[in-house]
Amino acid sequence: MRALTAVSFLSFCAVVVAQPSKPIMRVQLPCESRYQALSPTGTQVAVHCKDHSVRLVDVPEGIQQRVFPAEQRANSFAYSPDGSWLAVGNDDGTVEVVPSKGTGPSKRWNADTRRVDTVYFFPDAKAIVVGPVDHPAQVWEVTDTPTLRATLPFDFGGLIACAISPDGKLLVTAGDDTVIRWYDTATWRKMREYRGFLLETFALAFSPDGKQVLAGGADARITVLDSATAKEVRQLPQESGSYIVGIDVLGSTQRAATAYLDGAGVKPPHELVWDLTTATSLPVKADTPLTCGRVIGSRLWVCSADRTTLTMSPYE
Amino acid sequence: MTCTRRELLECCAAFGALTLAASIPLTAVATEWDEAEKKRQPTPFCELGPFYKREAPNTSVLRAPNDPGMPLAISGLVYDTRGDVVPDAKVEIWQTDYLGHYDNEGYRYRAVLNPGTKASYAVDSVMPGHYPDRVCQHVHYLVSAPGHKPLITQLYFATDPVFEGDPDKNYKRDPLITSRELVRPVVIKGDPKQIIAAVNFDVVLETL
Repeated sequence: MRALTAVSFLSFCAVVVAQPSKPIMRVQLPCESRYQALSPTGTQVAVHCKDHSVRLVDVPEGIQQRVFPAEQRANSFAYSPDGSWLAVGNDDGTVEVVPSKGTGPSKRWNADTRRVDTVYFFPDAKAIVVGPVDHPAQVWEVTDTPTLRATLPFDFGGLIACAISPDGKLLVTAGDDTVIRWYDTATWRKMREYRGFLLETFALAFSPDGKQVLAGGADARITVLDSATAKEVRQLPQESGSYIVGIDVLGSTQRAATAYLDGAGVKPPHELVWDLTTATSLPVKADTPLTCGRVIGSRLWVCSADRTTLTMSPYE
Repeated sequence: MTCTRRELLECCAAFGALTLAASIPLTAVATEWDEAEKKRQPTPFCELGPFYKREAPNTSVLRAPNDPGMPLAISGLVYDTRGDVVPDAKVEIWQTDYLGHYDNEGYRYRAVLNPGTKASYAVDSVMPGHYPDRVCQHVHYLVSAPGHKPLITQLYFATDPVFEGDPDKNYKRDPLITSRELVRPVVIKGDPKQIIAAVNFDVVLETL
């Protein structure tokens, strides 16, 4: 986990919106947990337990499908877009890809010598991006014998965030060196880069049409970049005193759920939904601190956890 | 009495305890030995962020007059793993203020230092504060030099209350501290009206 938990928090932070509605699902938790990650279908949640184990729990049944014990020192997680696979990056530099349900065979390999901070599936789940701390990013083809397809260097440091265009043809990365880079996923040639950020970017997302990239991070504002030219299109207003840890576009709309952490690390996450056309935002109001969230289809789901129960609610 | 490896070698040769093949001059052996003695281990990595910011000002004075917090003087040299100083290095440092806040909008407590041909740097700052998501006080470093791998690391302080006076035993209380070597002794200097915490932190870069 990186300093201030910002980067690993990307996957697990609450990404939330607008007015709360009645909770419609409650799931029994197997442990006390600060963060969870919802699967893309909303039918499973990866629960980070305080004992440092991670448990995959079906929603809403509460059936525990798999346990990653604390000794494994699992550090980063990502579900495949269809929710059927989970990639796990470990402290020892290994990566594991497991079926999210059942006890089917998993794949585990040594990707690097450094802790893996980022794992990210391609849309077809046949390849993943692996980000070891302080080392170049890697692209692995996930076959029976996983194969390294590309290495993506930085000026210094490692990968913080990445996103793949809706058509799968472009990978965009954000590195410790503050540079945003676009890669052609057929050739792994770097197509262009944006060096306009002074601070780190912690979250990236493509617009639904793939023409724009939304970037947010330590500067606490969404910057809209033109994907074809890597030029800045505009910047949305800044949330002073905080920083962005997650951006999730709501389906095919021009709205983006954006999660912020308090710069002093004291307040719980707060969330805004930005209208990208008007550059206006709505705060998300919640009665209890949110511990996870995800856009599923075009609807945002958020959850909060107490000692024994995870409560999930949709936000329109 | 202690002596260097070279002196020991010369003594051994002089008193017949060491016989060298005729083709190997004593000076060459001594030089090799000296080189081995100078060698240094690379400074351990410790992660970059968050809150690295490019284009920090070139200044060695981060502490403004009347800034609250314990004055802190950090100094050191930049070496390579052969033990030679590295000229033309660039040392970027950043830290929180004494309350544990990073300045992301400006450049308080951020600097670029250019150690020059002597490879020495010094900076006046304040002891950084603690903040909720990090266990220990720390100063971030990004050190780069032509022909060398950029080094990303952090400096920690043996006086940090988290260590309870025993950093050897307790340094792992901060899970990000991967090496005891990054926790440096703190020397209290100055007079009662102006106490300064002084820390030496040499860094060692790997060649590309």
